[in-house]
Amino acid sequence: MHEFSLAQSMLEVAVSEAQRVGAHHITRLKCRVGDLRQIDGQLLRDAFEVVREGTVCEGAELDVEKVRARAHCSRCERDFEVCDGDWVCAQCNGLAQLLEGGDELEIISLEAEVDS
Amino acid sequence: MKIEVVRKVLEKNDQAAQQNRRRLDELGITCFNILGGAGSGKTSLLEALLPRLKNKYCVAVLEGDLATTRDAERIAALDVPVVQILTDGGCHLNATLVQQGLSRLELVGLNLLFVENVGNPICPANFDLGEHRRIVVLSVAEGDDKPSKYPLLFKDADLIVISKCDLLEHTRFNLSAALRDIRCVNSQARVIQTDTKTLRGIDELSQWVSAEPLLGKD
Repeated sequence: MHEFSLAQSMLEVAVSEAQRVGAHHITRLKCRVGDLRQIDGQLLRDAFEVVREGTVCEGAELDVEKVRARAHCSRCERDFEVCDGDWVCAQCNGLAQLLEGGDELEIISLEAEVDS
Repeated sequence: MKIEVVRKVLEKNDQAAQQNRRRLDELGITCFNILGGAGSGKTSLLEALLPRLKNKYCVAVLEGDLATTRDAERIAALDVPVVQILTDGGCHLNATLVQQGLSRLELVGLNLLFVENVGNPICPANFDLGEHRRIVVLSVAEGDDKPSKYPLLFKDADLIVISKCDLLEHTRFNLSAALRDIRCVNSQARVIQTDTKTLRGIDELSQWVSAEPLLGKD
């Protein structure tokens, strides 16, 4: 259950972004979360609902974009996305190795209301 | 207005981890973060390993736990300096908790620091503590499916210890299946099989630790 501390960390990033651009309210956050992190998107949104209260992010929506890991099958030289922890190559049945990605954990955009 | 950024969610932890690593570097201390599920044998491994290392190096341990000081007491019984970090229900150590732990240790003159993480195969893998090397312990009793179930734990390991190998004949643990699945996410890590009853693999482990570049320098 690390979603709660991650939601807290997301809030800290959002608050510091709000200060940087002079926003009085953040209405939406978008984050990218790699599959290998094993983070439950719904739990993360639920946790964010709790931590956002009374902050500049009050009422802000959290969009969670899941990112799959990419694997390389050395037997048939094919690259593919790993779904549900299945590392077996659908083309040749060989076992593939992690190529890149799957460990993303970042805020990629925010929507903010700025004092005019 | 829309703000496009790319900011790591764990940037604050990562900054604290970098501070820890810099401090340890300056003091010439090599730090190992030991991760694994509850009951995987992390403390037993330290109990077997520390007597071999403490004759050659100045060693200390940070013990992370949700509750109790039992593990710290086991380490203290070996006459090795130890600080218990209680997370009070938190499921992982973070770099700030380790920073607090470091402030309670005598660091000058130390060569090796082992940080035993909270027993949990999921959350601790997300948090850089400022370690130089990551050791993951997988026990035969847990089952050979764990590398597939907890890929992040194994992905960034420098060393994977397969512990409790004396139980191999009593379980359905398929060693080659476990090794094969580890290689899906980590092609580089060294793998050492251990058993703390007969001390199998402990010499090999001790040699691996001793081969660290910071050790042996004045």
